[in-house]
Amino acid sequence: MSEILEEAMTEAELSLEKLLFNLSTLAELGEEITSPKDFTRVVKSALYMVMGSFSCSKGAIFQYDHDRGSFDPIASKGLGDIGGVRLKLGPNAISELVKHKEPIDLSSDAYPVALLGAAREELAKLDARMLACLIVKDELLGFIAINGKFTGEPFTQYDGQLLSVMSQHISFSLHSHSLLMKLMHKYTENKNLYDNLRRIYYDTIHAFAAAIDAKDSYTRGHSHRVSAYSAVLAREMGWDNDEVEGIRIAGLLHDIGKIAVDKTIINKASPLTSYECRELNSHPVIGYEILSKIKFPWKGIPMTTRNHHEKVDGSGYPDRLKKGDIPIGARIMALVDAFDAMTTDRPYRPRLSFNEAMDEVKDNWNKQFDPDVVYPFISVIKKEVKREVDNPTIVPLLQEQLDAVTLNRLFEGFPRA
Amino acid sequence: MWKKETAGMVKRYKNFKEVGETVVLYPDNYINDIEGEKLEELCTSYLERGFKKVVIDFSETDIINSIGVSVLIGMIEKVRDMNGNILFSGLKQVNYDVFSIVGLTKHIMIYETEEDAIGGNAKASGAVTTA
Repeated sequence: MSEILEEAMTEAELSLEKLLFNLSTLAELGEEITSPKDFTRVVKSALYMVMGSFSCSKGAIFQYDHDRGSFDPIASKGLGDIGGVRLKLGPNAISELVKHKEPIDLSSDAYPVALLGAAREELAKLDARMLACLIVKDELLGFIAINGKFTGEPFTQYDGQLLSVMSQHISFSLHSHSLLMKLMHKYTENKNLYDNLRRIYYDTIHAFAAAIDAKDSYTRGHSHRVSAYSAVLAREMGWDNDEVEGIRIAGLLHDIGKIAVDKTIINKASPLTSYECRELNSHPVIGYEILSKIKFPWKGIPMTTRNHHEKVDGSGYPDRLKKGDIPIGARIMALVDAFDAMTTDRPYRPRLSFNEAMDEVKDNWNKQFDPDVVYPFISVIKKEVKREVDNPTIVPLLQEQLDAVTLNRLFEGFPRA
Repeated sequence: MWKKETAGMVKRYKNFKEVGETVVLYPDNYINDIEGEKLEELCTSYLERGFKKVVIDFSETDIINSIGVSVLIGMIEKVRDMNGNILFSGLKQVNYDVFSIVGLTKHIMIYETEEDAIGGNAKASGAVTTA
C-alpha cells in the first residue's frame, strides 16, 4: 500500500517538476526572442529549446522565402547540411494550414497531413515526426519540424500544447524579423533614391558655378575656391556639418547674379563708368532674386548671396548693413571673396602676394571685414602652414609658399581682439 | 585533477582530461548555450583517436536547461553512432530531475562520481543503460 502511494507521489512530484522545467524553458524562450542577439542565433537557440523540451535529436525551422516561393531551413540540428531542402506548398494548402493551429502528427494520415503533398516526402527524408505551423495574423510564416523522442515515448496531448505555445513565441520572432527586413529594404531603397537626388542636386549647383565662372576669364575657379575657403573657415568657427555644407553651397552660388551682367563689364580692364558700376553691383540682388525662388535644404543661402558685399562699417551694398545686421554667413563670404579676388589676377591688376593681401585685410579691419571672422581665418591658415590639420585647403590653393616664421611676424601686426 | 588544452579542437572549451581509453568532459554551464554543440565535435575527435568511453561529469554544472538537454542528446547520438560508450557522473539532484523529466535517466548509465564512471563501477545510481 505505502509503496504504491510513494510511487504516485513521485509521479506527482515529477509532473510538477516537468511543468516547472517547461515553464522555465518558455521564460527563457521569451527572453531569447526579445534579445538583441542576431536573428540566426535566436532562431537556433529557440530550436534547441524546442528539441530539448521533447528530447529530440533532429529538428529544423523553416521560413517562407517570398522570392523563392518556398519554405527554406533557417536553423537545423542533427540533420547535417539541409540548406538545399525546400518545402513547396500550393496556395490552397497554405490557406488551409493557416486555420490549423495545432501541431501536426506526420505519422498519421489524418486530414491536414495530406495537404502537404510533396513537402511531406521532403519532411519524411528528414525523419520529421511533428510539424508545427508558425502563424501570425493568418499568415503562414514557417514551420518547426522535429523527429520522434529520443526516448521512444509517444507525443502526448500535453506535448502538443507545449509545442503549440513554443511555436507561437517563435512565430512572433519570425514576424518581427521579417517586418524589420522589409523596413530595412524600404530604408535602403529610399536612401539610394535620396543619394541619387543629392548627386543630381550637387551636379546642378556645380554646373551653375561653372556657368558663373565661365563669364569671367579671370575668375576661373573663383566660385570653387570661395566655396572651399568659406567651408574651412565656418568649420574653424565651430559650425556643424550641416551648416558647413550650406555655406559650401552658398560659396558656389554667391556670384550667380553675374549671369545677368554684361560680359564686357565683368572683363573690363579700365575703370568702370558709373552705369557699369551700378550694373556690376546689382549682381548680389539679382543673385538673391534667383536663389530665393529655390527651396534649399540649408538656411541663409539667398541672404548670404545678397549681403556678401556689405561692409561692417555700413558702407557696403546693396543694403548698407552694419556688422551685427549682416548675416554671419555673408560676413564670412565677404572676407573669403575679397581674399580670393586679391590673391588672383584681375583684368585691371596682377594678383597681390599673400602678405599684401593680408595687409589689405588689416587696413580694412573692422571697416570692411569683421574681426570675428578674420581671427579664425588667420588661425586656420596658421594651422594649415604648421600642418596641424589633416587636409589643408586654403594654403594649397594659393599661388605661393608660406612659411610659419613670416606668417607669425605678419600676424603679430594684427590688432588684438 | 588535471586539465589539458587541445589547441583549436574546440574554441573556448578546455575542461576535459584523458584517463586511459576514457575522456572525461566537464561541461560546466557551457552546455546551456548553442556553442555547447562544439562538444559533439570534441567527442567525435576523441573516438576517432581510439578512445572508447566518454564520461560527462556534471559536478561543475549548476542547472541544465533545455538547450543543454538538446546538446547532450546530440553528443549521445554522435558517440553511439561511433559505437562508443557515454556515461554521466556528478549529477546534482536538480539535474538528475531534469534528466528524469526528459527521459534520459532510462537510457544512460549515471554514476555518483567520475571515478566510479571511469572504473565502470557497477554501483550506478541511475537506471541500466540500453546502449
